[in-house]
Amino acid sequence: MKRSQKFYLQFGLAVSLLIFIGILIYNLWVNLSRTDMLLSFRWLEQPAGFPLAEHALSYKPSDSYIWALCMGWLNSLKVIICGLLAATVLGILAGTARSSRNALLRALSSGYVALIRQIPLLLQLFFWYFAGFLRLSQTPLAPLGTLIQVSKQGVELLGLHLSSEFSALLVGLSVFTGASIAEVVRGGINSVPRGQWEAFRSLGLPEGLGLRSVVLPQALPAILPGLTSQYLNLAKNSTLAIAVAYADLYKVINTTITQTNRAIEGFLLLLISFLMLNLLITGGMELLNRLVLKSQQSS
Amino acid sequence: MQPGPSAFKRLKRQLLANPLDGLITVVVLALLGWATISTLHWLVFGADWRVVSQNLPLYAFGSYPADQRWRPFLWIALLITLTLLTLLGPSRGWIRKALPLVWIAMVPCGVVLLAGGFGLLPIPSHAWGGLTLTLLLTACSGVLALPLGILLALGRQTSLAIIQRSCAVYIDVMRAVPLIAVLFFGQLLIPLFLPMHLELNRVLRAVLAFALFLAAYIAEDVRGGLQAIPRTQREAAAVLGLSPQQTLWLVVLPQAMRTALPALTNQAVGLLQNTSLMAILGLVELLGISLSLLANPDFIGRYLEVYIWLAGVYWLVCTAMALLARHLEHQLSPQTSAN
Repeated sequence: MKRSQKFYLQFGLAVSLLIFIGILIYNLWVNLSRTDMLLSFRWLEQPAGFPLAEHALSYKPSDSYIWALCMGWLNSLKVIICGLLAATVLGILAGTARSSRNALLRALSSGYVALIRQIPLLLQLFFWYFAGFLRLSQTPLAPLGTLIQVSKQGVELLGLHLSSEFSALLVGLSVFTGASIAEVVRGGINSVPRGQWEAFRSLGLPEGLGLRSVVLPQALPAILPGLTSQYLNLAKNSTLAIAVAYADLYKVINTTITQTNRAIEGFLLLLISFLMLNLLITGGMELLNRLVLKSQQSS
Repeated sequence: MQPGPSAFKRLKRQLLANPLDGLITVVVLALLGWATISTLHWLVFGADWRVVSQNLPLYAFGSYPADQRWRPFLWIALLITLTLLTLLGPSRGWIRKALPLVWIAMVPCGVVLLAGGFGLLPIPSHAWGGLTLTLLLTACSGVLALPLGILLALGRQTSLAIIQRSCAVYIDVMRAVPLIAVLFFGQLLIPLFLPMHLELNRVLRAVLAFALFLAAYIAEDVRGGLQAIPRTQREAAAVLGLSPQQTLWLVVLPQAMRTALPALTNQAVGLLQNTSLMAILGLVELLGISLSLLANPDFIGRYLEVYIWLAGVYWLVCTAMALLARHLEHQLSPQTSAN
């Protein structure tokens, strides 16, 4: 294509894109001014008026919408961070079990992955909440004494109380994401040449130590990108908290919109929050990636 | 396999290589045994499957009018026949050649059968439900999202800066937002962006939101496929005198789509699972109809039975989709098609 042709093509496309967006915005303006709901964020300072079952800092219904949204943010962050940790542990365990010598472990881990990945996450969350935690009795189950107690009210872990909504969401998210992480880990381990296994075995290293000190460090560069995208998925999936009535950011925004009818503003707030969250996760993983590469180059 | 040690010795090597391995085996066996026994106990003494067996038509068709149920039934039966024919049917001949077209025709066919028209009694979309609605949402959104996704991927690759930027922004923003939010705001916001007199029903709005969301993910998968094509392919096409359009349609896209197919399969299975999110937003698809059944006082507390049944249905449909996709991959691989 000639340069001038390219210029006219771009110009034409840009103009039609602008016209299209213009029509959408015009429709929006017509529809919004009909109901007298033009864009504004003043309502954020009004009292929210709804209670939140869980809040990290002090909150009461007479506090402003913006404070309620902050509490939602913190609740989201709490479940995402705990979920990332639990899913990573579960995923690494299940992923490495796939290359274990023990046939039973291999079968167990491949069964777990095959089952969990073919069932919708929402259904799994319903399962953990309604058929799991809400079916437990009031008197706590304590398999490990006072270390961990599980009951209808949730989990007591080392004196820390976790509500049943939070626990069900955490378990559901970690089990679901753990299965995907297991596949990522397995892929990473398979990318390490078989010779490395034979090498550490012939050196007489035990299986577990060899896996940890020889295979996994080499698999890490192949694992990290997949891990990042699974972390992003977990963060996005945490919005399904609404299914178990856990007051995360999305649920608070949802309540806010039903009360104020401010759908566009609510969407913008959610968009900004998630763009920030994504930057946080990708930034953190980028840092980790650089550290891994650096430590491998220096050794 | 080589004639190796006896089965017993092999078992011993695989399960009891050293004391730790033995311990793991014993613990896993104990856990599995405990799980099996408690499941069996529940199945025999606790479970009551009437919540499933009495409501099979509801799970399949939702509250579709009883005298018109043959229409969704026919559609699902056609889909099952086609699946079996594709997987087990003859590997060559006119049937095989007609299959792709028939598959594509199933989407408008399903819409017409459900919605009515062409001599069929029109049925409003709020009466659609159950597995039929789940499949229809999946099929329609997928068919809309695929071309949109390919366009976005091509847009992100062009040298036209404005197009490239806008496609990139769209893809990145869409991929940053949770699906439930896209669906929720799709229900709320799509009417706001349309002219006043134009109204879309809930199902259509859901399909549109799914398609807009999924297109961004498909675009990234297709872009992966496009990047995997060696430069030499384009150069070879240019040497043969193909125009840029011909190169795109005959050389680049077919290869890119073949590379992207496994990823696209995952997207399709994910889409089917994600249609369950519409249960929260008031559509009575497979999960939605089950939630309303669980709210029925006759079946109060029968969560486990319903969830296990649903898990089974989703698992079956997802597995069938994955098998179909693997079949397609096999058909399209250069070794098979060269024969």
